[in-house]
Amino acid sequence: MNTVERITAIAAEPQISRASDDFARHIRLRNRRVRLRRFVRGATGVLLILLAWQLMSQALGLELLLPEPLTVLRNVVATLTVSDPHWLYGPNIYVHLSHSFLRAMAGFVSAAVIAIPLGLALGRITVLREFLMPAIQGIYPIPGIAWIPLAILWFGLGDAAVVFVVFATVFFPLLFNAEAGARLISPTVLDAGRCFGARGVSFFFRVVLPATVPYIITGLRISLGGAWRMIVAGEMLASQDGIGYLLMESRFQFRAVDLMTAMILVAVVGYATEKLIVGTIEKRTIEKWEVMPA
Amino acid sequence: MKRRGVLALPAIAALSGLPWRSALAADKIKVGMLKPNIVTVIYWIAVKTGAFAKNGLEVAEYPVPSGQTAAGIEQLLRNDINFYLGASGEVAHANSRYLEAGKPLPIALIEGGLLAGSFFVLKNELKGKSLDELRQMNLKIGLSNPSSFHLIMFRAFLRTKNLTTNDFKWQFLTIGGPEMLPALISHQLDGFMHDALTTTLALRANAGFEFMNSNRGDFGQEAKLVPGTGVCGNLEFMKAHSDVTRRFAQALRDASASYTKGPTSEMVAIMSEWSRQEPAVIEAMYPRFDPRVGLTAAAADAWWDILGRAMLARGEISQKMTVNDVFDLDYVQQKS
Repeated sequence: MNTVERITAIAAEPQISRASDDFARHIRLRNRRVRLRRFVRGATGVLLILLAWQLMSQALGLELLLPEPLTVLRNVVATLTVSDPHWLYGPNIYVHLSHSFLRAMAGFVSAAVIAIPLGLALGRITVLREFLMPAIQGIYPIPGIAWIPLAILWFGLGDAAVVFVVFATVFFPLLFNAEAGARLISPTVLDAGRCFGARGVSFFFRVVLPATVPYIITGLRISLGGAWRMIVAGEMLASQDGIGYLLMESRFQFRAVDLMTAMILVAVVGYATEKLIVGTIEKRTIEKWEVMPA
Repeated sequence: MKRRGVLALPAIAALSGLPWRSALAADKIKVGMLKPNIVTVIYWIAVKTGAFAKNGLEVAEYPVPSGQTAAGIEQLLRNDINFYLGASGEVAHANSRYLEAGKPLPIALIEGGLLAGSFFVLKNELKGKSLDELRQMNLKIGLSNPSSFHLIMFRAFLRTKNLTTNDFKWQFLTIGGPEMLPALISHQLDGFMHDALTTTLALRANAGFEFMNSNRGDFGQEAKLVPGTGVCGNLEFMKAHSDVTRRFAQALRDASASYTKGPTSEMVAIMSEWSRQEPAVIEAMYPRFDPRVGLTAAAADAWWDILGRAMLARGEISQKMTVNDVFDLDYVQQKS
């Protein structure tokens, strides 16, 4: 009987099997308790903030500057169910959300397509890094919003300008994360890859890319948030629809409820896209390949 | 000697026609205005001709960038400033929210320009096209802000033709007044709706033509009466300082009188300084611009009939609103 067969036989003994089941149940219960505790604490935090918001709004008579949470919630529901036939801001909220989403994704995807391969190349090719990094680091501190006047000048008033501003904002976090990931791969991992005969394209796809994925995912996560922040700023200045335009228009109408509704919708859509896009990529890479940061 | 000097002060004030108060201590007021912006130049005329000082007022200036009209109203709502020059539709928007909430109205229009001064400029390539032809075209039209006075004027004009902006294939894009001309020249815009100065600049650069001009009656005859420059105040402040408010309104009317009397060259210089434009541009703008104020009940009614009803029709303001919720005519010289 070899070692594996001996362990299997021991585990199959009734007492050991029962203890193992008890342990698994204990772990499941503990995890459930942890999840419940996290949920209760998170929900309590949210409720406390909502309560403070409600009290401030009522006690200070700020309904017009800081509408009550319930009023805002009702407005969010009314906006999402398109229940107001005389809605001021266009056909419905979905038109604005979809336009903003398309612009944000156009900027985000085009930046990812260029920044990630470039970042990987910069991380692995020293000569390239030494030539390009000083220039890239010099441009990096320019805030995304500072690109808006130039973007309007180059691309005109319209979608292209907004997409470019998103691109300029999200490009750098994507590039720097990919570059850092590729540069910091453990030499042991690289040597192991080479020992197993990985070369060229195979070496890149089987060794470099999986080892860099946690960094790329972090870059994607940071950039997606940046894309939503910048889309709002861009649309406020160079668009006639989208969630940024909605915010601007409601400000000029002095409708704080609509302003807060738009802000909540940006938060929800931003969170959902992050979960959907980055979460999916994460599942298909990090969890599948079981890679950990170096 | 000292005593004689103090006693002489009222006498000097009386002789020079100044009110007692101004000779002793001027009342301090905080005034916001769009700057640089030609529509608020009456404020600068009042400063330069000494109209505020003459009415016993010392003014602290709170400039608001053009295109940020709402920012001035927000300051007025918080009582950070007492008066504000440059907004009118926004007063109705803000008051409507308070009316809907059952709260006392916070602000009101107390004076207004003599002319609407609304212009719609299109690029030269569109010359000769009718409104019907134009509305089928994909045009980009620039506006200084989403609640632009000129857009509301245009919407009001469309109502008379049973049209709305939704019947047009146009895009209305917000863009600062100073950027409108470069955008028109570089074909990023097909036209814009703005004031006399931007229009003059576009015409001088041969970048476009005057498609509509409110002074000619293109927006309708009644629209000529609509006060273009709105002067508004915080109602709480005005209630507590009605005398100061009266003198502030009077100072603006005195400045208007100075404009009427004053040599054109002097007024051109003042307007040039305020708008940061060359005197030649101001001279070219002169025939299509009038900075004077002189609100009347008839002008307030015209404002309500044209702008107020257009805002009501779009649901921008409460259906309960009336002209009295926007204007406070207690401080105007002529009520009718």
